[in-house]
Amino acid sequence: MTQRISIDPITRLEGHGKIEIFLDDNGNVSNSYFQIPELRGFERFVVGRPIEEMPLITNRICGVCPEAHHMAAAKAADAAYHVDPPRTAKMLRELLYMGFYCTDHTTHFYALGGPDFVMGPDAPVAERNILGVIHKVGLEIGGKVIQMRKYGHTVVEMIGGRKVHPCTAIPGGITKGITAEQRKEIEEMGRWAIDFALFSLKIFNDIVLGNKQYVDLVLGDVYTHRTYYMGMVDENNKTNFYDGKVRVVDPNGKEFVKYAPNDYAEHIAEHVEPWTYLKFPYLKKVGWKGFTDGEDSGVYMATPLSRVNAADGMATPRAQEEYERFYSTLGGRPVHQRLATHWARLVELLYAAERWVELVTDPEITSPNIHTKPTEKPTEGIGIVEAPRGTLTHHYWTDERGVVTKANLIVGTTNNYAPIQMSTNKAARSLIKDGKVTEGLLNMVEMAFRAYDPCFGCATHSLPGQMPLQVTIRDKDGNLVDVLKQFC
Amino acid sequence: MTKTIIIGLGNPILGNDGIGWVVAKEVERNLPKHVGHLDVEFLSLGGLALMEHLIDYDFAILIDAFKSDEVSGSVLALHLEDMPNYSAFHTTSTHDVSLQNALLVGRNLGAKLPKCVMIVGVTTEEVFEFSEELTPEVRAAVPVALRAVLDLLENPARCD
Repeated sequence: MTQRISIDPITRLEGHGKIEIFLDDNGNVSNSYFQIPELRGFERFVVGRPIEEMPLITNRICGVCPEAHHMAAAKAADAAYHVDPPRTAKMLRELLYMGFYCTDHTTHFYALGGPDFVMGPDAPVAERNILGVIHKVGLEIGGKVIQMRKYGHTVVEMIGGRKVHPCTAIPGGITKGITAEQRKEIEEMGRWAIDFALFSLKIFNDIVLGNKQYVDLVLGDVYTHRTYYMGMVDENNKTNFYDGKVRVVDPNGKEFVKYAPNDYAEHIAEHVEPWTYLKFPYLKKVGWKGFTDGEDSGVYMATPLSRVNAADGMATPRAQEEYERFYSTLGGRPVHQRLATHWARLVELLYAAERWVELVTDPEITSPNIHTKPTEKPTEGIGIVEAPRGTLTHHYWTDERGVVTKANLIVGTTNNYAPIQMSTNKAARSLIKDGKVTEGLLNMVEMAFRAYDPCFGCATHSLPGQMPLQVTIRDKDGNLVDVLKQFC
Repeated sequence: MTKTIIIGLGNPILGNDGIGWVVAKEVERNLPKHVGHLDVEFLSLGGLALMEHLIDYDFAILIDAFKSDEVSGSVLALHLEDMPNYSAFHTTSTHDVSLQNALLVGRNLGAKLPKCVMIVGVTTEEVFEFSEELTPEVRAAVPVALRAVLDLLENPARCD
């Protein structure tokens, strides 16, 4: 029923995550469309500003991952000025980033993705939330979650100068180091974070893996797609969030390409659909074949699950053990079941905590050598980091004064737009039969996209701070059959 | 002594979404005397992260842009508990819980949180374009919103 799918762009301005489902003659799903409200005009907004301002401005794109934008922009500014920061500066940036990662992954597991498993996908909505988790697992768990967040914020503030929007990364390095006293404090917090990550994995093991119904849900076909997977790796092909090369593996887990950040445009292209402003990135050398799985389709995913799929292992010992357990339990690499992303996120949490301690115990971490002065004229720079919700690319062109003349950003969620569309579509198809809408549709569809942890930047800070979702179901003639709303 | 926090919420580079910061800056410049311990903060946060900033305060005033059917630039002042808790304990937000739920979580864990959280909102259309400017009708609401915040600070019956 594609002729009916002429969604007025104005509807996007309502700020809703919007899913339009179209039924065929028999009342089965003909197609569905997941729309993300997009913030516009950022590339235009930054033109005419000095590139050194980019780490400060871009971290205000949204309130969810300012640290990721700060780092990607700083790396792009390093590249534009042709300057390599000293080792200590890079370690401090990465250490800050590990504090952020631990905070972000913790919040997602306990407050957002986890309740579906800890409480059960069919639990009443009044229980399927962080309060329910606290009541079920114990008050102690809530205190630990808040403590983990506090430690993460503290590291970001100590190195980044501010609790929320860090401001210390500049072209060539960082503006402030840490004292021996701070180093000790950060180390203690990092060791606590490792224990917390192990504790979180134990909860997942006991509650999710110990329940056959949940394991069946994770391994079920509804949430499975065989796509390419993207993630940043170090020189040993182990996961790294801050630096390295971008590696893509095919649906069989074989390396398809590994490229340096500067070469991203050779490998990534963007597909345009008439029903959304947001573009769908895909692998240029495979090509766009539509919203479809398999080796012949250029659709790729960039999430915690795709990062572990794209890596040969984790660079820290305990995370490596968990990585091995993950794949031995789920039947080998790669894992295609999207709900396994929640487990992969916890493996990454452990890696981030271990890496935190590794960095803060490096003898050079308190070195005063934290900045290399740029001496060359700036030109063009690309910076890539792994944001918690996907590979984040910042690309700036400047004039010889360092004033930005053009910018291009590919944010984490954008990478995943095509697979999110595929997952919500598949969930809808499996749940709507013969015109009957399954009651659990909304949550099952939500679960499909929640695993991706998509970023709707605009909804994160405005009160009351919820991402509204509306599912509209239409018959073959486009007439309204049902509207399921949440927070609209 | 009563500890009060005033928070300008929003994104200062997202047009009218920056109204909370602008009003909070005006509050800083026009602070009344004898209001006890008072802090002013500027944040782009919600949910748990916002709740964590309210710990150890007795009274909080949050200033933010509101999407509403009211004419753009209208000023609203209301108790947090009078606002709809859209999440109804659910977690549809992909990144955070609602502030109401975050406060419940905090209180469950024994955190000292304000007994009274007031919201001063300025209505605007949805904001999706990057800009550092407010529209004229929203800018005109700044003195009205400032007055609303100062009234809340000075009025002892504010939380009744």
